[in-house]
Amino acid sequence: MITVAILLLVLLALMGAPLFAIILGAAALGFYTLGIEMSVLHIDIYQLSNSVVLMALPLFTFAGFLLSESKTADRMLRLSQAAFGWMPGGMAFVSLIACAFFTALTGGSGVTIVALGALLLPALVKGNYPEKFSLGLVTSSGSLGLLLVPSVPLLIYGIIAQQMSQQLDMPSVEIVDLYLAGLVPALLMVVLMYGYCVWATRGTTVPRQSFDFRELVDALWEARWELPLPLVVLGGIFSGFLVISEAAAVTALYVLVAEVFLYREITLRRLPGIMRDSMIMVGGILLILAVALAFTDYLVYAGVPEKLFTLIQTHVESKITFLILLNILLLLLGAVLDIFAALVIMVPLILPVALRYGIDPVHLGIIFVANMQIGYITPPVGMNLFIASYRFKKKVTELFAATLPFMMVLIIALLMITYIPQLSLWLVR
Amino acid sequence: MAALLYRLHRTLHQIEDGLIVAVLLFMVLLAVAQIVLRNFFGTSLVWIEPLLQNAVLWIGLLGAMIASRNDEHIRIDVASSLLPEKYHPFLTTFVDLFTAFICVLVAWYSVGFVIEEYDYAGAAFANVPSWLLQSIIPLGFSVMAVRYVVLFVLGLLGKRPKMQEPVP
Repeated sequence: MITVAILLLVLLALMGAPLFAIILGAAALGFYTLGIEMSVLHIDIYQLSNSVVLMALPLFTFAGFLLSESKTADRMLRLSQAAFGWMPGGMAFVSLIACAFFTALTGGSGVTIVALGALLLPALVKGNYPEKFSLGLVTSSGSLGLLLVPSVPLLIYGIIAQQMSQQLDMPSVEIVDLYLAGLVPALLMVVLMYGYCVWATRGTTVPRQSFDFRELVDALWEARWELPLPLVVLGGIFSGFLVISEAAAVTALYVLVAEVFLYREITLRRLPGIMRDSMIMVGGILLILAVALAFTDYLVYAGVPEKLFTLIQTHVESKITFLILLNILLLLLGAVLDIFAALVIMVPLILPVALRYGIDPVHLGIIFVANMQIGYITPPVGMNLFIASYRFKKKVTELFAATLPFMMVLIIALLMITYIPQLSLWLVR
Repeated sequence: MAALLYRLHRTLHQIEDGLIVAVLLFMVLLAVAQIVLRNFFGTSLVWIEPLLQNAVLWIGLLGAMIASRNDEHIRIDVASSLLPEKYHPFLTTFVDLFTAFICVLVAWYSVGFVIEEYDYAGAAFANVPSWLLQSIIPLGFSVMAVRYVVLFVLGLLGKRPKMQEPVP
């Protein structure tokens, strides 16, 4: 009977039922078998109002929507071109840096391809970079900033981990620690990608731009209202002056004032619509997060992580083997699932098991998001491949081929991040 | 009758949109006010923190309600990308019915809980009663249930909007 119900839920999920309904169904089923009163579902959803950090999610998302609705992408591109365009492979470096920052600030990596990619691709081609190379670069850079503060996926991971830490014996997972831990891995990815770009374009006739001080000053002046933003976010969070949710509030208000009143690129009339649209996305994420918390409670209550660990341990002995299997599993999931869906489903299952293998929860968070980032461009179903295909009007198969070398570079970075925990942890522990 | 339903429908949309914008705006302003008070005046208002935390709950449910209008929830989209489009109505019919059922289930138990809270429990903080803050949960799930029933009926009539994911 229970087995039938579980199979039915899986079937419905594959048929495209909203994930929140599936997880709620699973939790309800679980509580029912344990003989627990169903009103626990209400209590678990009400837990949304228990978290101090969760407020950062709507606020950062709102700020990100405002930035992508105004001409921030143009200004960011102009500034990074003026600052780094003179380097060998300068335009490629510009793409990497601009994409990483833009993705970190706007959260969704699809936005980066739509907003920035459309500017970068013609600029790269005009700079004599081969078209296939440029396509691959822009598509794979579209998810590059997911490990950078104030990344929303890392925030979600931290919230789930904090929720679980109440029941598990584990070191604390502070959101600030996750953001600190993400810095070096994100930098590693950018450096490796840049290295590949320079190597791949050797021998081609990419002309070097000369450095133009005047242009740099102009670009800086044009971006003057947005330049303090990284300082507010990074400085506020890492100095300990602001907690994450406060930094998010300051960011939201700052961006609101900058784009609406200083740059005047968003009219007051459009503002409610943008606020609403950003909150629809947030509502979807918060809802699955809430029901996932309910489901996590059930899992822990029913001792599922214990059973899972015993099962895995009979087949997997070493930490290294476990990590290899984890990487493969997460790469596949990252390609198929929405990043938030993957987080809320997999973290409650994997975290307790990973702890038993002696993996630091902060390190696990970085591994998780780094995998998901590559999942965005994993053929045949990675989401950014389709967004790029739609945006640049190229066949998806063409994008597979163009993106593949960059994906390999990112996988090398991923392996280093996974097997050298110090990369993530030396700023934290 | 139809005109009345249409007006009701539009009013509900306006209330949802207005509320979510207002809650977000208050959230930004209150949170910043709290920082200013704490760092520059050395005080803080005790009711701001719990109010902000409850605002997250409200934004979550209001956003989810709005997302249900056109079925824009996060999902695992396997079948609809594998199956040709003419089979999609079969999928959505089952799925809508299931989603509506789950929403009704949660709404039902949630209403019960909130009524109990109304009868026995007191204020969550300051003078704001806790049942009022929690009432967005049964309300949200009831509205979502109605929307998925409507989508189910529209599906039977062949007028349902296509299944879609939130576009980034």
